[in-house]
Amino acid sequence: MNLERLPNEEKLSLCRKYYLGGFALLPFLWLVNVVWFFKEAFVKPPFTEQTLIKTYVKRSALGLSFWVAVLTTWITIYQHYRSQWGEVGDRLSFTIPLGTP
Amino acid sequence: MFAAMSASDSDEELYNERTALVPSENPAVPSYIPDLDHSPTEDSHSKAVICLRTRPGGGGGLDQEAELEEEEEELSLKYGAKHVIMLFVPVTLCMVVVVTTIKSIGFYSEKTTQRITVCISKYRSIPGLFSASCIVREVFKTYNLAVDYLTVAMIIWNFGAVGMVCIHWKGPLQLQQAYLIVISALMALVFIKYLPEWSTWSILFLFTLPSCLAADLVAVLSPKGPLRMLVETAQERNEPIFPALIYSSAMMWTVTMANPSDAQHSDTGQPSHLRNVPFICSLVDDDDDDDNDDVSTGGVKLGLGDFIFYSVLVGKAAATGGDWNTTLACFVAILIGLCLTLLLLAIFKKALPALPISITFGLIFYFSTDFLVQPFMDSLANHQFYI
Repeated sequence: MNLERLPNEEKLSLCRKYYLGGFALLPFLWLVNVVWFFKEAFVKPPFTEQTLIKTYVKRSALGLSFWVAVLTTWITIYQHYRSQWGEVGDRLSFTIPLGTP
Repeated sequence: MFAAMSASDSDEELYNERTALVPSENPAVPSYIPDLDHSPTEDSHSKAVICLRTRPGGGGGLDQEAELEEEEEELSLKYGAKHVIMLFVPVTLCMVVVVTTIKSIGFYSEKTTQRITVCISKYRSIPGLFSASCIVREVFKTYNLAVDYLTVAMIIWNFGAVGMVCIHWKGPLQLQQAYLIVISALMALVFIKYLPEWSTWSILFLFTLPSCLAADLVAVLSPKGPLRMLVETAQERNEPIFPALIYSSAMMWTVTMANPSDAQHSDTGQPSHLRNVPFICSLVDDDDDDDNDDVSTGGVKLGLGDFIFYSVLVGKAAATGGDWNTTLACFVAILIGLCLTLLLLAIFKKALPALPISITFGLIFYFSTDFLVQPFMDSLANHQFYI
């Protein structure tokens, strides 16, 4: 899929769909959106749809940073307090490391 | 398996191409006439096929045809070489991923069957995510990390969903390629781990059998072939061929746009960019075919089956041989085989089965290295004799 080939309306539509799709707990989709459309939104000379694409890219970046913050916080808390949580900690764990924490 | 698809200008208006495709164990299909409408059949194929298409763009008047064809042949050979290199990278990447996973995660060198049943019973409902989650778990166990279900669920959900979007719908090309490489590596790892030792070797060996070779050659050269029909249909409909099963490298729009003769043929409904660009396409066993409405891309296409079986061979060498010499020898052998086959293809522009060649070289190198070179190197080292 090459963005160069697409007319601007389709680019906009694609960007929008990626943006909307990210709301399904998919920050990775937002990341892809940001990276893929970054050039279109900020580097290229202005075209009609560019303002909208810029909005979507910015919002995707926002959503992405929100998710990164949330996940980092949760993972930090989990790693730090897992051993203290006892049984709850074990049930939450996908893998349990060996040895003493 | 390689098959060459070369187009000829037998019809002035219609773009005609001979495609060579290989179904190995498929039922016969009704005869196929490339010019007319045909009904596509979609069989599953248990053979990996690579077709190299070196068809340059349509020619002008009859007088100039010879010259044009010569030029175009040179063009196509040039592009053929370039695309060989473009294939080396993903194949190498896939093999590297498989080998590193095998070497770093002890899981793959163990021969326990317990883990299989545990893993299978847990993840039976989600076959696609099964191997991913198993491998994720093994990775974390190897590094003795604690991970919670939420994080793992997020990782796998994102990985899977974005993969689906990228491969089956629209997505950036590099991401698509990366996903296909990762998926091939995962499949290869599954094969390596869960097939008993000798089954793997016999399956690989089967690809080299002369009977397979003969069957492929016959199927490839004959005009009746379900694979050929599939490819033709996909091209007629401007669809990519099984996007989930084909690895596609770069697209060559500039070449096609520059050729004025394309304008004559553009009304056939076939994508013009496919014609000037040599591309290797390969069709793979398993799965369903996905009909896709995307315009098919030019450039080189290689089927995932080839990735998978090359990686299985190298991975097996890494897992059981235990020595880097063997692994490297297999790796080099496969690349040589790939190169040779593409070369032969570019020269003859005919269908050639390619998977057997690489696998044959690989197997020869593996067993000879394992049984001959390795003890030689060991005794040299023992006697402190450096060559």
